[in-house]
Amino acid sequence: MRNSIARALDSLTRGELSVLDALVVAGQTNESELVTLVDADPAFVVATVRRLVDLALAWESPEGLRPLSVVGDSMVGGVEAGVSGLRPRSAQPRPAAELLEVIAALPSGARALLDHVVDGGSTAKSGAARIGLRPEDAETPAELLIAHRLLVPAGSLQPGLLAVPGEVGLALRGGRTTTAPVDVAPVVAAEPRSARLTGSAAVGAATDVVRRTGQLLEWWGTRPAAALRTTGLGVRELRATAAHLQVSEPEAALVVEVAAEAGLIGTRADTDGNPVWVPTDEFDRWRDLPPAEQWTVLARAWLASPRLPSLVGERGPDQKPWNALTPELAASGMPEAKAMVLAVLAGLPEGEGLAAGTGLPSLVARIAWERPRRPRTRPDLVAWAVAEAAVLGLTGADVLSPYGRALARGEDPAPVLAALLPPPVDHVLIQADLTAVAPGPLEPDLARRLQQVADVESQGAATVYRFTPASVRRALDSGWTTAEVHAFVLAASRTPVPQPLTYLVDDVARSFGRLRVGAATSFIRSEDEVALAELVNHPRSAGLGLQRLAPTVLVSSLPLDLLLARLRELGTAPVVEGPDGVVRVGATEGLRARTPRTRETTDAARSAARQAAHIATAVRTVRQGDEDARSRPASASAPGGGVLSALRDAIERRGAVLIGFTDNQGVVSERSVQPLVVEGGQLTARDTDAEADDPDAERRYAVHRITRVVPVGSA
Amino acid sequence: MSDGPLIVQSDKSLLLEVDHEQAAECRKAIAPFAELERSPEHIHTYRLTPLGLWNARAAGHDAEQVVDTLLSYSRYPVPHALLVDVAETMSRYGRLRLEKHPTHGLVLASNDRPVLEEVLRAKKVAGMLGNRLDDDTVAVHPSERGNLKQALLKIGWPAEDYAGYVDGEAHPIELAEDGWTLRTYQAEAAESFWHGGSGVVVLPCGAGKTIVGAAAMAEARATTLILVTNTVSARQWKDELLRRTSLTEDEIGEYSGTVKEIRPVTIATYQVVTTKRKGVYPHLELFDARDWGLIVYDEVHLLPAPIFRMTADLQARRRLGLTATLVREDGREGDVFSLIGPKRYDAPWKDIEAQGWIAPADCIEVRVSLPDASRMAYATSEPEERYRLAACTPEKVKVVRDLVTRHAGQPTLVIGQYLEQLDELAEALDAPMITGQTPVKERQRLFNGFRSGEIGLLVVSKVANFSIDLPSAEVAIQVSGSFGSRQEEAQRLGRLLRPGEPGPDGERKIAHFYTIVSRDTVDAEFAQNRQRFLAEQGYAYRIVDADDLGAPSADQA
Repeated sequence: MRNSIARALDSLTRGELSVLDALVVAGQTNESELVTLVDADPAFVVATVRRLVDLALAWESPEGLRPLSVVGDSMVGGVEAGVSGLRPRSAQPRPAAELLEVIAALPSGARALLDHVVDGGSTAKSGAARIGLRPEDAETPAELLIAHRLLVPAGSLQPGLLAVPGEVGLALRGGRTTTAPVDVAPVVAAEPRSARLTGSAAVGAATDVVRRTGQLLEWWGTRPAAALRTTGLGVRELRATAAHLQVSEPEAALVVEVAAEAGLIGTRADTDGNPVWVPTDEFDRWRDLPPAEQWTVLARAWLASPRLPSLVGERGPDQKPWNALTPELAASGMPEAKAMVLAVLAGLPEGEGLAAGTGLPSLVARIAWERPRRPRTRPDLVAWAVAEAAVLGLTGADVLSPYGRALARGEDPAPVLAALLPPPVDHVLIQADLTAVAPGPLEPDLARRLQQVADVESQGAATVYRFTPASVRRALDSGWTTAEVHAFVLAASRTPVPQPLTYLVDDVARSFGRLRVGAATSFIRSEDEVALAELVNHPRSAGLGLQRLAPTVLVSSLPLDLLLARLRELGTAPVVEGPDGVVRVGATEGLRARTPRTRETTDAARSAARQAAHIATAVRTVRQGDEDARSRPASASAPGGGVLSALRDAIERRGAVLIGFTDNQGVVSERSVQPLVVEGGQLTARDTDAEADDPDAERRYAVHRITRVVPVGSA
Repeated sequence: MSDGPLIVQSDKSLLLEVDHEQAAECRKAIAPFAELERSPEHIHTYRLTPLGLWNARAAGHDAEQVVDTLLSYSRYPVPHALLVDVAETMSRYGRLRLEKHPTHGLVLASNDRPVLEEVLRAKKVAGMLGNRLDDDTVAVHPSERGNLKQALLKIGWPAEDYAGYVDGEAHPIELAEDGWTLRTYQAEAAESFWHGGSGVVVLPCGAGKTIVGAAAMAEARATTLILVTNTVSARQWKDELLRRTSLTEDEIGEYSGTVKEIRPVTIATYQVVTTKRKGVYPHLELFDARDWGLIVYDEVHLLPAPIFRMTADLQARRRLGLTATLVREDGREGDVFSLIGPKRYDAPWKDIEAQGWIAPADCIEVRVSLPDASRMAYATSEPEERYRLAACTPEKVKVVRDLVTRHAGQPTLVIGQYLEQLDELAEALDAPMITGQTPVKERQRLFNGFRSGEIGLLVVSKVANFSIDLPSAEVAIQVSGSFGSRQEEAQRLGRLLRPGEPGPDGERKIAHFYTIVSRDTVDAEFAQNRQRFLAEQGYAYRIVDADDLGAPSADQA
């Protein structure tokens, strides 16, 4: 319950928390009074109260509007968390006029002390101050305040603690819980930027991040990145990645993390069984999407991701640097921080972005107002979210892009982005220095085929490819014919194909396949060509897997020892040749097997004894168990949910109950009490028949000793 | 998204579509801050480098202009990180200043205290700085001026040098504009250099760099040391200075391997300055021989490393670098920037085109197949012998002879690396030969004969690599090359393929450049580099087999 209240409180703005705080101070009230207590627009207060009731943080009891009892304890933090620092009003508050009179008559020292205590959370240690004096006998300002009942004991549970009752604090602050309006959100410092700059920056970054993700995964597809034992990505791998993508390491870490969040990479074991990062099947699907949709996949993954790539390279609490893709590298507050950053940016006027310098702190302040309660790392999270959004192209020069706006609204940003992206081109310009320049984003199919014949030299909005002998050979290796290469180049180029390229392709094709490689297990060679010819044509040589490479050389698919035996069967007399070309002959050694291990000889008597011992042990164990069960006392009847819920119910109603409980001496007794709080297995309750201001009337009871709860009085 | 001619890549290269209607305009706009990397037929590649951006800063451009240019000409969205990087890089220049303090002499000053603190803590510069004078100023020993600038550039905080220059020993030099005038861009170049103090002027080959040098000398009116690549080039400088300025023969000295004169204007070769004997440079005295008011570096992109070291000690003298390209094969562009100075002038592209920078030259690579015996010898040879074996195959002689016969009547050069091969060729072709051993007098005679047309065929070794103008050569046949730098290769080709004067019918001659390489050997691999470089420079390029050479179609190209 406490957790769920905390969770509900976390989602409130500072203004809303202030209203709730006022409600706690008031204790029990109605809307019209609450409006006068909160320094805010009445409409805001009324709307907030509706929301609080909807969230079940407050409820309309028959006697009036009340906060949930635990809420008061959960309201922690200072003014920045919407906590006014006033205590709840007393049950029978003195009228404000009377209080103001008393306060006005206070000497300056006492007045200053009172102000100080109220500003410091309305509680103070009593120290040496005596309690129960008349105002005339008071010697110190504190004693004077106590004598005037401006400071009262906070209760028997907090001995020595004095508190300023809520009504006194209210009187001091002119009838309101705060001295400043609470419904004014901090303004985000913004300034207009030229649309050309921001649009260009955002779309440029968006295309870059999509391109780099593709480039990274294509690369990891052929050269997987080693994963750490913790599944993270090591510093060295990250550095290599950054170098490959030509970006800084933090940016590379972001690309890697986003790709992981989008499910585009995963770990698997490489051929040596070590874990490596490789693209997933999902990558193949992603790759075939239009760029705008590719970006959408990445941006959505980023938005929902709790990961903290911006921490990569920083040192953690154990002084070890954080690695990318480490599971612990996440914060649950991050998605909310991102969403709120986008929401705030979306709230700025069109074409305006965070002001240079002051923009980010004001954004942090605004978000701290919106969600004041947590987390403590908020300034960092917000700063990271802003930086990452820029890299992803959600913002350009800190201005939210139109498609970023769509994403923040939960709409599909792809069509908006697609309209801004340059249209794909279907041709390249091939030049005499053997480069091919694609003056824009290439159609994916063309790009893929071009990448087979040429190396990428420069990437960006345009791509520069370079034809090299190695790249052309690669194309031939993957099954292209020379004619196909020529035809492809001719079709792709908008300009005439330069002669050196044509020559290059032909030249590579000429030497392609000059060396041939095959698999064989053994060879047979002989100076006698006829003997080899005879062997190949021998009717029984079919099983030898012979192939004639040269007049004097045969290869066989059989291993050496087998081949040797078969050849001897065929009536030839082969000898074995070592790797150095020297003939090896010698008597074969006789075969030997390994000596088998001797088993323990079986002994009937010993095995029977062992069996008997087993059985005896088993029986003894079972018996022992029975004995234990018998001797254990019957379990005490546990305090059922009934007791707890009855107590909680009474707390909410502020009603009295009759409780039956067993004290330390085992004496069962009954008491009529008003339950106040149930916490940590303890019930704090006040005797119903005690005097209103008797501080000793509050007592604690262990919940498990309470046997029954009977509502009395109003019930 | 516009329809601009420029594509900005995230790796900081800029692709410019040449055939776009805005291409010329765009080229002009990006030239101040981007370096032209390749210029093949359709798409030219420029690159954004820190140095290029700092050059632009030094020339008074700011990051906003650069970003705006990129955005307005770019066809596609420009990566934001790149724009941020541009702004960041450009803001680094000039945070630190070298200044002359009235009492403390040379100081390093900055208004940006964190930068100064960072620099003071850097290990690389620690030894070069003196006492901290106040929060924003640190003393620098005058002798460390160059080294400090180099080190600061390396740690990414290039300093602007406001410390000024010594005037040097005055010497009257006037431009003698009789019958010719300084072209507008030459005057502009000299002026920008003079106002900038020190720096590099980038002009294409044939745009009259020597005249810019002469104009700078006329501004300085002081004794001048001119460093050039080789003796022949030194002579050309001398001739040109005599023709264009009031200087007389007696005032110009040559300091080379053979002659060692030190006069008010002295022309020295890189080679003699960097000659090392017993671990010391005996000709270092040259730099202190006079109180030079101006030092001119010809072909800055070829400046050898020792000269950089010497230049570091000459920071108080005005330095003028002349070059056609800032790109260096060894990647020491940073040293040019910090020691000689930032780029002060870049010729407008239109002028370059008018100069015919891309000569109508037909480059043909002829591939010869090695006979099996040679292939076997090649396959089993030691790696260090391979290139020589492949390059010097006797098969090439026949091909050369065919080519010479085909271009009979056209002035032809045969160029090679290996003397035995050249001997063999000279004998086979019955042609005069120039090598390192040929006396200078004989060389001059042969070159003059070739220029005047008396000699139609010349076999030359690598002595012809640099700074020899043979504009009359119409055909060049390269049989073997120094297998190192393709920059050097291209330099050689560029020299030989100077576009000549238009003929009587108004058409420029088409130069033919043949390179003969052995198929499937390292020779062919080197040729590939060369081919790439030429294509990147915009030369047409073809490859033919030696067997197809006889076909008439190849001849008509």
